[in-house]
Amino acid sequence: MFKLNTKLIVTASVVTASALFTAGCMDDGATPVITSQVASATSVASIDGGVMYPVVNGKTSAYKVNTQSQGMKINNGRVPTANELAAWDTDVMHGGIGLPEGSGSVEEGEEIYEAQCVMCHGDFGSGGGGYPALSKGNAAQLQKTLTNNRWKDPEADGPTRVFGSYWPVASTMWWYIRDGMPHTKSKTLSNDEVYALAAYMLNINEIEIDGEELDDEYVLNREKFLKIKMPNRDGFEPNIDGVNGLENVRAYYKNPKNFGAKKVKVSERCMTECQKKSAIVTRIKNGGISDFLPPMSVSRDLPQKESYDQGFNTLKSYQDNCMPCHGAEGMGAPVTGDKDGWVEVLAKGLDTVYKNGIDGINGMPAKGGASTSDAEFKLLVDYMIEESK
Amino acid sequence: MDNKKSQQDLEVSARRDFFKKTAALGVTALAGTSLAASQDDHAIMHHPEWGQKWGDPVTKNRYGIPSAYEHNNTRRNTKLLASGNFRASIAVTPIHESEGIITPNGLFFSRSHGGTAHINPKEYRLMIHGLVEKPIVLTLDQLKRYPSVTRTHFIECPANGGQEWRGPQFNSLQFAKGFMASAEWTGVYIKTILEDLGLKPTAQWMLAEGSDNSEMGRSVPIDKILDDAMIVWGQNGEALRPEQGYPARLLLPGWEGNLCVKWLKRIEFAHEPWYAKEETSKYTALKPSGKAIQHFYANEVNSTVVSPSPEKPWTDLKDGDTVEIEGLAWSGMGTITGVDLSFDGGSNYIEAQIKGIVLPKSWTRWSYIYKYKKGETLLLTSRAMDDAGYIQPTIDEEVSIMGVESVYHRNAVETWEVTADGKVNHVQLRTPGGVKNV
Repeated sequence: MFKLNTKLIVTASVVTASALFTAGCMDDGATPVITSQVASATSVASIDGGVMYPVVNGKTSAYKVNTQSQGMKINNGRVPTANELAAWDTDVMHGGIGLPEGSGSVEEGEEIYEAQCVMCHGDFGSGGGGYPALSKGNAAQLQKTLTNNRWKDPEADGPTRVFGSYWPVASTMWWYIRDGMPHTKSKTLSNDEVYALAAYMLNINEIEIDGEELDDEYVLNREKFLKIKMPNRDGFEPNIDGVNGLENVRAYYKNPKNFGAKKVKVSERCMTECQKKSAIVTRIKNGGISDFLPPMSVSRDLPQKESYDQGFNTLKSYQDNCMPCHGAEGMGAPVTGDKDGWVEVLAKGLDTVYKNGIDGINGMPAKGGASTSDAEFKLLVDYMIEESK
Repeated sequence: MDNKKSQQDLEVSARRDFFKKTAALGVTALAGTSLAASQDDHAIMHHPEWGQKWGDPVTKNRYGIPSAYEHNNTRRNTKLLASGNFRASIAVTPIHESEGIITPNGLFFSRSHGGTAHINPKEYRLMIHGLVEKPIVLTLDQLKRYPSVTRTHFIECPANGGQEWRGPQFNSLQFAKGFMASAEWTGVYIKTILEDLGLKPTAQWMLAEGSDNSEMGRSVPIDKILDDAMIVWGQNGEALRPEQGYPARLLLPGWEGNLCVKWLKRIEFAHEPWYAKEETSKYTALKPSGKAIQHFYANEVNSTVVSPSPEKPWTDLKDGDTVEIEGLAWSGMGTITGVDLSFDGGSNYIEAQIKGIVLPKSWTRWSYIYKYKKGETLLLTSRAMDDAGYIQPTIDEEVSIMGVESVYHRNAVETWEVTADGKVNHVQLRTPGGVKNV
């Protein structure tokens, strides 16, 4: 039988951290011990505003625990070498830890951008193809749109959340460009190239450093980078910086009003007339969103032959893999249907066009990211050529 | 349904007739119990092909696949939720077809920031370092050598329902609530590993970083690590699927799916958080004040009616049919303690009943047995509570604090309208223009 032990055995037995843990999770004096009406759970407050279930009498909530491993040092693995640590520990923290030396100009950044980024992020970072916009104009001005709420008019201007107007620190951008970009061949940019792209990012977002605009010749380096002050640096809560960071988080989630949640005693919850009189039935407008792939159906008929993924569907593969970049202008790729554009491409010879596509060229990833055989990929190229005659 | 129902009715009346007539007239009256030949069900009256021919040998489909007739029970996408070539994208779970509290691995919602990575397990390494006395590198085999725990938890994208802050958009349960799924996970508590590594007192935050092309990373407060944070390799009795981070991912029970970093490569402890891309540019909830909530961890208490739903309407019900209204409830902050059901859009509630196993930070089934009146219209709204003391707010209540631009962590009650002909529409009960200071 489950016997409630009033002395909670906190599972965090890592000695060095247990003081911190205890202070953080039980500092509201009366630790709530809630016995749920459906589970014999013993729980205590946790950092996220919810509860956690320490191991009590060998059980956490409904789960039995093998307590033998508690406090046991299990010596698995090995210590990494200094080189291994250096190879993987490449994150860039706010404040400069991990940010390497290097430099690059706005102009150099624009060149790299035009060659490797524009096909997804659009001209001057305006966005496109479903990929995020990097700029919508002057960052300081756009930061002021963050109080916009489309309460009534869905066509009204909403808040603009791009790098310049929204992100609190710039290190995030540097780090992500270096490790996550370009999306199709990440971790291929040199530190100098990342500084150049970072300079270009600041330029198109009209963010100044030390009161200085970043014109084409501006050369960004580590020292200057660390002086960047993002317009929305105070735009986030709770404050996670510094030694009180965790305490701030714990305090924040103790108040449901801070994050739109609602707490109520079970016996006091509303059971009648719980909606405001002003609340009315609101329906889906303009048909809503229903471009589901595959189309919605709960039929238990055998699938139609063509919907089997057997066989290669050129049109579908084109739509999934090629169209995002080749389907419209402004993405830097030759547009399907652009006769002159494809004449120019084919001047290289068809075999070269195939090879470039299979290997990837400029901003285009190998096979455009399609998971096809070489033969199937050639069908996609043929399709675009045919459509561009 | 209609057909099945009438078959049952016929069986009952036939049996009743049998006893009555055999008692009165003897065996010869048996012929009188038969119904007209025109009512014979072809499915009963002929030998189906599968009953007369060889089935598949056991050598076929060595890793089994669902019946071909179940092909519509599948993850789905929409262009709205896709960056470009469906790489930084999401495919959502068909929860209208889900049974119980476990999602099959092939239907578990799939979200990535650079496509599904395919990791060679022989080259998999996990590095744990930073503010620990002893940093380590583990191979997959070494990771799996730690004492394991198995826990049932849902994982939910905090943008589940996030397209509908300003009004309903999806006439579909799969898209309105399917940015989540639930599984039984097997792995090791990080605190178990830390027994050996020795966390330094200054360690307050942990970075989890994936090895996919986006190197997805998030900062996690030490509180969670010392509570129930796990590194998992098992999902519903087998290895993680590639879409779920094969061969190992972080699992922070109840917290944003995005925090449960897949293809986990590196864990570092530090005294400051990292400001990773997905904890500032996204996964932050903008409030009307212009301030955004960052480090918004737990998915709050939530629920939905699963049956009926837009995908599973009541168009086949007859007047007086007894039907089970069934749904799911979940909370990333604790254990579900109860679910209320409303037939008028959340004005008046009655208590529904919890069904099955009730676990923390897990899907929980609930239902209510209902006698259907043909031609009636209903506004079905469910409202869940958890043992942390939370209850789902009304839309007006939630919006009054969060506004309509926050994208993430929407957990207000949701409503299905059942029309007179049994169709089901997604609607919301809300005050036009919003209510300030409810």
